[in-house]
Amino acid sequence: MKIKLLCILLIIPALGFSQSFQVNLQGQKQTAMAGAGTGLALDEAAVFFNPGAVSFLRQNGVQAGAHGILLKTAFREKGSQLTQYNKNNVPTPVAVYAVFGAPNKRLRFGIGVYTPFGGAMHWDEDWTGKYSVTALDLHAIYIQPTLSLKLTDNIGLGAGLVYALGKVDLKRALPYTNNGIQTTAQLKGNAKDFGWNAGIFIKTVSGVSVGVTHRSQVTARLEDGDANFFNVAASVAPSLPKKFSATLPLPATSTIGFGFYPSEKTTIAFDVNWVWWHTYKDLTFHYDNGTSTPSARNYHDAATFRLGVQNITSSFLTLRAGLGYALSPVKEGYVTPEVPDADRLLLSAGVGLNPSERFSIDFSFLYENIKSRTEQNIETGLNGTFKTVAYIPGVALSYKF
Amino acid sequence: MNFISIHKSILALAILGVVSCKPNIDVTGPKKGSADFNRYIAIGNSLTAGYADGGLYLDGQKNSYPEMIAAQIKMVGGGSFATPFFPAAQSNGSGYLKLTGLTDGVPTIVPETSNLAIRGQVDGSNLYTRFAGDIENFGVPGIKLIHANVVGYGRLNSYFERLLTDVTVNTRTYLDFATAKPWTFFSLWLGNNDILGYASAGAAADAPTPKATFSSAYQAVVTKLVSTGAKGVVATIPDVTNTAYFRTVTLKSLLTAVNATQAGALIKEIYIQPGSGPVRSATAEDLFTLPLSAANLIGSAPNGIPYGLHPANPVESRFVLDKNEVTTVNDYIQSYNTTIKIIAEANNLAIMDAYSLLNEYASGKSANGIPISAAFIQGNLFSLDGIHLSQLGYAITANGFIEAINAKYGSTIPIVDVSKYHGVKLP
Repeated sequence: MKIKLLCILLIIPALGFSQSFQVNLQGQKQTAMAGAGTGLALDEAAVFFNPGAVSFLRQNGVQAGAHGILLKTAFREKGSQLTQYNKNNVPTPVAVYAVFGAPNKRLRFGIGVYTPFGGAMHWDEDWTGKYSVTALDLHAIYIQPTLSLKLTDNIGLGAGLVYALGKVDLKRALPYTNNGIQTTAQLKGNAKDFGWNAGIFIKTVSGVSVGVTHRSQVTARLEDGDANFFNVAASVAPSLPKKFSATLPLPATSTIGFGFYPSEKTTIAFDVNWVWWHTYKDLTFHYDNGTSTPSARNYHDAATFRLGVQNITSSFLTLRAGLGYALSPVKEGYVTPEVPDADRLLLSAGVGLNPSERFSIDFSFLYENIKSRTEQNIETGLNGTFKTVAYIPGVALSYKF
Repeated sequence: MNFISIHKSILALAILGVVSCKPNIDVTGPKKGSADFNRYIAIGNSLTAGYADGGLYLDGQKNSYPEMIAAQIKMVGGGSFATPFFPAAQSNGSGYLKLTGLTDGVPTIVPETSNLAIRGQVDGSNLYTRFAGDIENFGVPGIKLIHANVVGYGRLNSYFERLLTDVTVNTRTYLDFATAKPWTFFSLWLGNNDILGYASAGAAADAPTPKATFSSAYQAVVTKLVSTGAKGVVATIPDVTNTAYFRTVTLKSLLTAVNATQAGALIKEIYIQPGSGPVRSATAEDLFTLPLSAANLIGSAPNGIPYGLHPANPVESRFVLDKNEVTTVNDYIQSYNTTIKIIAEANNLAIMDAYSLLNEYASGKSANGIPISAAFIQGNLFSLDGIHLSQLGYAITANGFIEAINAKYGSTIPIVDVSKYHGVKLP
């Protein structure tokens, strides 16, 4: 851990996402297995990964965990010799779950609080892409009460209602100056919306377990957000708005996951996610002065493949590792510096420690290598290469009761 | 493993961590290719001097495209580069136009008259504070291509005169002056004024340089510049009719303004005096000049006949580049540009196609998220005179030159970050 901590202290990273601005850090055990776990009844995080598997958990429990996302993006403008880096910023998405009810009964209850979408990308105030973005802080926290019913000894169904709390804070420079000082804009708003999460969990006769889930789209509606402007020339000020509204789709995700059990102590999980990104067609801000700034996104649906393995080495120690590959939903010409997305490789590892029967602590470490991507944005004309890597350590405490 | 080696390992891993934690984008360092940038000289007119907002002043001089290019080629062996700056105490140089108000899109433009570098007058023309040091930026506002080999041209152009002495003003040609010291690389952007004076006066003054004269003059200048074996880049003549100067006051904007008044509510025609032929009503293909707006004449009727609204008192020819004159201007520009390209190719020089580049941006294009067009003030490309570029426009031009040089000579001179430059300063 010393080494990890050193890395945390020494490097200077920023944003957090796992496929565009989707964040897939909802459980330490699953993160350590590259985010796979839909086909398993592993722990309380099943509230997120598969509500149908909640009724198959052997014990009730509560767990709380957090990740620190250390992310570094480099940008080099085409034809330039200068590589620019994003700024220091470490978002720490939190996930808390609890599962109640009698483990020997068919109906179980769960609640989860997690962050499936988010991002924090900060650049220098005067960087080359400042008219696109200088800082974006975005997160959507989902609160999900869940019911899970064990229909038979082999089939579980579950569903949860999602109450989503969204927050966005976008800063960028405007192509004006006031006495030589750059004019900047900030758009800041909140959204409260609903969605759902449902899943089915099946233990097949062959011993393989299967999970199928669907998390619905949440359409974040930002109303009455604040449009703030700084260092504005007097002649420009009267034309500027004070309020804005916008709609941001937080897309649906369908997943099929499998659990394989080659030995009593070893579990292999394989998940395929399909994220319905095609609904993210544009990001349009509507202002209270009757103007709007439409910006095309034209995302397409994209899959992620996740393979994880867990080995219960002893009653005290569990080891985990994983490998994944996420395809980017961002088409050529639409890469933006707030989310410089590209296909990415995921490598993960983790350990679980059980100092007592009831108490356990899990560590995970996820490395994401986002492929280098060179292109010109159709809208802004920003032309260059983005390259991103992410180091995501995490820890969770859980208590069974 | 003892205690010390554990610590060593941790240190090694930490260093490895720092290195691996930061992503790398492979860059091949800047290269000079087959050109020698040791002493770069810039030959040209107002655009080369950094003239903007209807004047030459220190801030514009510092942000000229040759200054930007020179800063970039320092990374590939470029030497020192001097522009004949006005002194800091006279930083407003010739004076220039300032935007002091912008209400509902209507600009208030006033001349800056403080801290000028005017040392006297001759025949009604200002004389500017002289500059005596080394020069690499030989941009002289107002100079035509055909002036380059005129002996005593300094007596006709105060911007050239300020670079000379009382003796050399009578003896030097522009080209001799610029090539007095050895050079290894040059940029050449002359020829704009051979058509601009004619066009900007609504074809009512000056005359375009005849095509054959242009051709032989261009050949003479290039022959001199390559005579020492120097390599260089030349630029074509931009489309002067696609500038804010000719695209701000339009038939539509004039009629809208007239119709908004009580007396002019029913007016449907604006009458113009074309360059040849009788007075007629204007069409969308006739281009009005920016000074018509400042002159504030439309509808004024000191003799009882409203200006521009009646055939008996048409908009004067000096404010209109009529349809036929537009054709003439474009014909000359096409011919000049053909000449420039032929001579450049014959001499194996890089060509910066300013005509295409500026038309591309004038028609509307985003640069790093900055909206750019030919629109006056809001378009970010042109300065307040509507013809000369803004600092952002000059940065785009500098990158055009750099890309042309890189393509021709296999160099990798880094481009300028255009995001660092601005359009018209707003009040």
